[in-house]
Amino acid sequence: MTDFVVEGLSVHYGGVCAVNGIGLTVPAGESIGLIGANGAGKSSALKALMGLVPRRVAVLRFGERDLSRVKARDMVRHGIGYVPEGRHVFAGLPVEKNLLLGAYARPWDARTRAGLDEVYELFPVLGEMKNRLAGALSGGQQQMLAIGRALMSRPRLLLLDEPSMGLSPKLVETILAVLQRLQGQGLSMLLVEQNAKLTFEATSTCLVMENGEVAMSGSSGDLAHDSRVRKIYLGL
Amino acid sequence: MQVFLQTFIGGVSLGAIYALVAMGFSLVFRTMGLVNFSHGNVVMIGAYIASTFYLSAKLPFALAMAVAIVVTGLIGVFIERVLRPLENKDFDLMLIGTIGFGIVLEAVAIIIWGATGTAVPNPVAVAPVQVFGLRVRTYDLVVLAIATAATLLLVFFLQRTKRGAAMQAVAMDQAATAVGIHVGRSNAIAFMLGAALAALAGGLVGPLLYVNPSMGGTLGIKGFAGAILGGFGSIPGAIVGGIAIGVLDAFAAGHFQGYSELVTFVVFTVIIMIRPTGIFGERTVNRA
Amino acid sequence: MKLRVAGGRSLRSRVAGTVALAACAWLLPYRLDTYMIHVANVVILFAILAVGLGLVMGIAGQINLAQIAFAGVAAYATAILTTRAGFGFWTAALLAILIASAMGLLVGMPALRMQSHYLGIVTLGLALAFTNWVTNAHVAGGAEGISGIPAPELPFVDLRNDYFFYYVELIVFAVTLAFGLFVVHTPLGRKMRAMRDDSLAAGAVGVEVPQLRMTAFLLSSVYGGVAGVFYAGLIRYVAPETFSIANMFLLLAMVIIGGRQSLVGCVVGAVALSLLREVLVDYPTYAQVAYGSIVVLTVVFVPTGLAGLPKRGRALLRRIGWLRSERGVVPRLGAFRPYAEEPPRNRGNILRLADVTMRFRGLTALQDVSLEVAAGEIRGIVGPNGSGKTTLFNVVSGLYRPTSGRVLLGERDMTGLRPHVLARHGVARTFQNLRLFPLLSVRENVLVALDQTSVLGAWRYAVWQPGVWRHNRALRAQADELLDRFGLTAFADSAPGELPYGTQRRVEIARAMARRPRILLLDEPAAGLNGDEVRELRDITRSIRSSGVTVVIIEHNMGLVMSLCERVTVFASGRIIADGTPAEVARSPQVVEAYLGDSAMSEDVPTEASR
Repeated sequence: MTDFVVEGLSVHYGGVCAVNGIGLTVPAGESIGLIGANGAGKSSALKALMGLVPRRVAVLRFGERDLSRVKARDMVRHGIGYVPEGRHVFAGLPVEKNLLLGAYARPWDARTRAGLDEVYELFPVLGEMKNRLAGALSGGQQQMLAIGRALMSRPRLLLLDEPSMGLSPKLVETILAVLQRLQGQGLSMLLVEQNAKLTFEATSTCLVMENGEVAMSGSSGDLAHDSRVRKIYLGL
Repeated sequence: MQVFLQTFIGGVSLGAIYALVAMGFSLVFRTMGLVNFSHGNVVMIGAYIASTFYLSAKLPFALAMAVAIVVTGLIGVFIERVLRPLENKDFDLMLIGTIGFGIVLEAVAIIIWGATGTAVPNPVAVAPVQVFGLRVRTYDLVVLAIATAATLLLVFFLQRTKRGAAMQAVAMDQAATAVGIHVGRSNAIAFMLGAALAALAGGLVGPLLYVNPSMGGTLGIKGFAGAILGGFGSIPGAIVGGIAIGVLDAFAAGHFQGYSELVTFVVFTVIIMIRPTGIFGERTVNRA
Repeated sequence: MKLRVAGGRSLRSRVAGTVALAACAWLLPYRLDTYMIHVANVVILFAILAVGLGLVMGIAGQINLAQIAFAGVAAYATAILTTRAGFGFWTAALLAILIASAMGLLVGMPALRMQSHYLGIVTLGLALAFTNWVTNAHVAGGAEGISGIPAPELPFVDLRNDYFFYYVELIVFAVTLAFGLFVVHTPLGRKMRAMRDDSLAAGAVGVEVPQLRMTAFLLSSVYGGVAGVFYAGLIRYVAPETFSIANMFLLLAMVIIGGRQSLVGCVVGAVALSLLREVLVDYPTYAQVAYGSIVVLTVVFVPTGLAGLPKRGRALLRRIGWLRSERGVVPRLGAFRPYAEEPPRNRGNILRLADVTMRFRGLTALQDVSLEVAAGEIRGIVGPNGSGKTTLFNVVSGLYRPTSGRVLLGERDMTGLRPHVLARHGVARTFQNLRLFPLLSVRENVLVALDQTSVLGAWRYAVWQPGVWRHNRALRAQADELLDRFGLTAFADSAPGELPYGTQRRVEIARAMARRPRILLLDEPAAGLNGDEVRELRDITRSIRSSGVTVVIIEHNMGLVMSLCERVTVFASGRIIADGTPAEVARSPQVVEAYLGDSAMSEDVPTEASR
C-alpha cells in the first residue's frame, strides 16, 4: 500500500514561520485537498514536501520508502510528479520537448513515446500544438502542458500547486474533468488550491490551512457545506 | 569592389573564430547566467596547447586540437566547481572571480611557455584558391568548415539530445529540478562545452594570429562583444555577432590601420547604446 | 552584524589610530632608501586610484573597468600639454584632470542604459580603445610614449627629489581619502549605497538614479585624473603599457582583496598587493598567479575582503566563545506615536487611472483599468493571485510604463514618469517582498528617503563642506524623530536583515513616510504578521491617513481590509470586477466566485471585524 505520509512538516522563511508542524496522509489511489486563503502556507508546504525549500520534517514516507533525505531532483525517481504553481513550463522549448523532459528520469524509448500519446489523448489541444513553443501557449494550455509533463514520468503520486490560478471558470472545469479521470485511473493526488469549489469536487478529503497550521479537516462533501470554511478563507 | 570583397572574406575568417568564442560566452551565459571573463584566456590556453602538441610533439593538427579541447574542458569544469557557491547569489563577485581565473591562466601560460609567443605555421600546405577572382587562403576555408561543423554539432546537441534539452531547460526555469535534472552537473557540462569551444577557437586561431599570452585579452573582448551584439545567450546571435565583429575589424584595419580597435569599439558601443539587448535580443536567464 | 556609527569610545580610538598612522606615514621616508621611496610613491598613486574605484564600484555599485584609462588620459594629457604645447606643469595638470572628468562623464553614459556585464564590457572596451589610440597616435608618442615631462614646481622644493614628492603625494592622498570618506558618510554617499543595494527601491524613495550614476563615474574619473597627473610628474615618462588592461585587473584585484565597500579597505588592498609585488619583484609572473588566486579565494571565501575580516573574526570568536557576546539591552519595538491630524493637501481625486492597459510579451496584466481614489481615502485593492494588483502599483509608482491609458496625480498627467520623479511628486510605496537596503542601517535607510536635495547639487560637496555637514546633521535629527515616532529608536543602528519580520515591515513604512507623501501605496503590508501586529498596522495606517495622506492598500487579509478600508476595488484577471464599500463587495457574487470559486456560497458577511 503506497500511502504518502507526512508528519511534523515545518518551513521558516527569514523570521516568518510559514508552515508550523503540519501532517497529512494521502492514502493510495485517493485525492486529498489542501486549501486555504492566500498566505496560509499551502504552497510553501507543497514546495517543502518536494524539497524545493528548506524544511524540517519528522516523517516523510511513501509506502515503505523514507523520503526525508531524498533531494528534490530525485523525488521524481521515487514516483512523485510535481505540477508547480504558475505552471513553469520551459517557455523556449516546443510542447513535445517539454513533455519529453517530463520523462527525463527515464530513457527516452518506445514506452516514453507511448506516454506522449497518452498525454495527447488526455489533452487533445496539446497534440495539435506539439511543435509550438510552450511560451506561446495560453495560460490554460500551459497548465495542461504542466500536468502532462508531470504525468510523463508515470508517477504514483501527483502534487499539484494551484492549477486553477489565473484560469477562466471554463478551463477550470476542464482541469477538474482531467483530475477526476486521473483519479479514476488510480493515481494518488495532493491538490493545493485556493479555489475551494474545485477542490471539493476533485478530492475525497480536504484540509483547510490557516496561518501555517491545519485549522479544519474532513470529507470534502461535508466541508463543502460548512460555513466555517468561508470564514477561514475570508480571514474573519 | 575587389578590395571590399577581399577584406570581407578576410573578416569572415577571423569572424568565424570570434563566433566560436562568442558561442562559448553565450552558451555559458544562457545556461548558467554567468559571464565568464576568463573565457578569452581559456582560448589562449587552447591555442598554446594545440600549437605545442603540433609543433613540439609533432602530432597531426587535428589530434593536437583534440588534446587541447580535452584539457581546456577540464579547466572549465574546475572553474565552475570553484565558483559554484556564488552561482545565483552575487553576480558581480562571480564576474570578478572569473577575472581572477583569467589572470591566473595568463600567468600560468607565461610560466610554461614564456612571454614571447610562437608563430604557428599554416597546417594546410596548399596554395590559396581562386574563387570568383578572389584569393582565398585554404586555411580560411578550413577554419570556416570546422567552425560550421562545430556549430552544427552544438546545435544538434542542444536540440536533439536529452542532455542538451535539459541544459536549456535549466536555464529557462527552476522546474527543471522537479523533472529530475541535476542542475549543478548540467552547469558543469555547459561550462565544459564553453571551454571546449574556446579551445577549438584557440587551436584554429594559432596559424592566423601570433600565439602569445596576451592574445586572450583581445580575443575574449571581441568574442564577448560579438556575443552581446548578436544578443547575449543566443547561439545564432553569437554567430552573426562574431562574424560582424570580424568583418568590422577587417574593415577598420583596412581603413584606419593601427586605430582599428578604437574604431571597432566605438562602433560597438554606439550600437549597444542604441539597442542594448543586441540583434536577437538577450535570452533572459532564470536565476531563481 | 552591528553597524557602528562613530560615537563615544570608538570615535576616540579611531582618532587615536588615525593620528598614529599619520605620524608613521610622515616619518616613513627616514627609514627608506631611494628605491623604496620611489616604490612608496607609486603605491600611493595606486591607493588614490583604488579609492576612486572603490567609490564607483563598492559604494555606488557601478562596474568600471576604465579606471586605469582615466589615469592614462590625465597622464597623457599632462605629458602632451607640457611637452608639446608648452604649458607649465600645474596648468597642464588642471586641464588634464578636467579632460579626465569629461571622459568620466562620457564613460558614464552607457551606465544609464545598462549595468553589470554590459557595463563591464563597454567600459573595458573603451579602456582598450584608449590604449589603442595612444599606441598609434603620433601626438602621444606611439609605442614609445612621451618622455621628458617636466617635474611639478613648488617654491623652495625640488620635486624631482622622490622624498619631497612623497610628502606632496601624502598630502594629496590624505585629502582625497578624506574627501572620499566625507562623501561616503554624507547624504550623497548614502544615496549611492542605497542605489547599489537596490536601485529599484532607491528610485522609489526619490533617489535620482541616472544622475547619481553619472556623478559616481565623474567622481571616479577625478580620482583617476589626480593619480594620473601625479604619475606623470613622478615618473616624467608615460607609455601605453602603464595603463594597460593588465594593470586595470591589478587595480581591480586590489579593490576586491581590500574590500570594495570600504575605502580604507581599498587602500589596504593597494598597499598589500603592491608589497606582494615588491616581494616577488624578481618573479613577476608568480606574483600574478598569486594575486589572481587571491582574488578567486577572496571572492569565494571572504567576499567582503580584508576590510571585512575584523568583523568576521569577531563574529567567529563570539561563536566559539572566546569573545563575550555584547550583552546589552535586547532591542524592543516601541509604541507608535500618532501623527497630528491634518487635512489632505489635495481636494477631489488624488489619483486617477484612465483606461490603463499593461501588456507584456504575450500577457495582459491590466486591461482597460479605470479608477479614482479620493484624497484622504483608505482604499483597498483585493483580488486573487495574478489578478494585476501589484502591476497596478508598479504602473502608478513609475516602474512600468503602461501600454496605453493615463495616470493622473491630482490634476497632472504622470503617465510613464520615472519612479524617482513620482517619488518627488509625493508618491510613496512599500513592496510585497520588502525592499530595505540590506547594507545600510535602519537609520540610514530612513535618511536616504528623507533627503530631498537633488544630486545635481552635489557640487557643494567639493566647494562648501560645512553646508553639507549641517544638512547631514539636520537630516539626522529628522531621522531620529521619524524613528521615534515609529518606535524604532532601539533598532536605529541595526542592519535590516537581523530584525524580526514585523519590525522590518515597520521600517519600510517609516521610510515610505519620510517624505510626507501625498499618497502611500502599501503592497500586502500584513503578510507574515501575527494578529497583534496586524492590529498595530491598522492603527498606524489610520493615523497616517489622518495626517493627510491617502492610502491605497493591497491585501489578502480580509479582516484587515474590512475594518480598515472605506472603499474596496476588486481585481480579477487584470480587470476591475467590483468597486464599493467592503460590505457591498463581500456580498457581490462575482467576488465570491473569483475568490472561492462558488457563487452558491453567499451569505451575510459581518462588516466590521469585532476583534
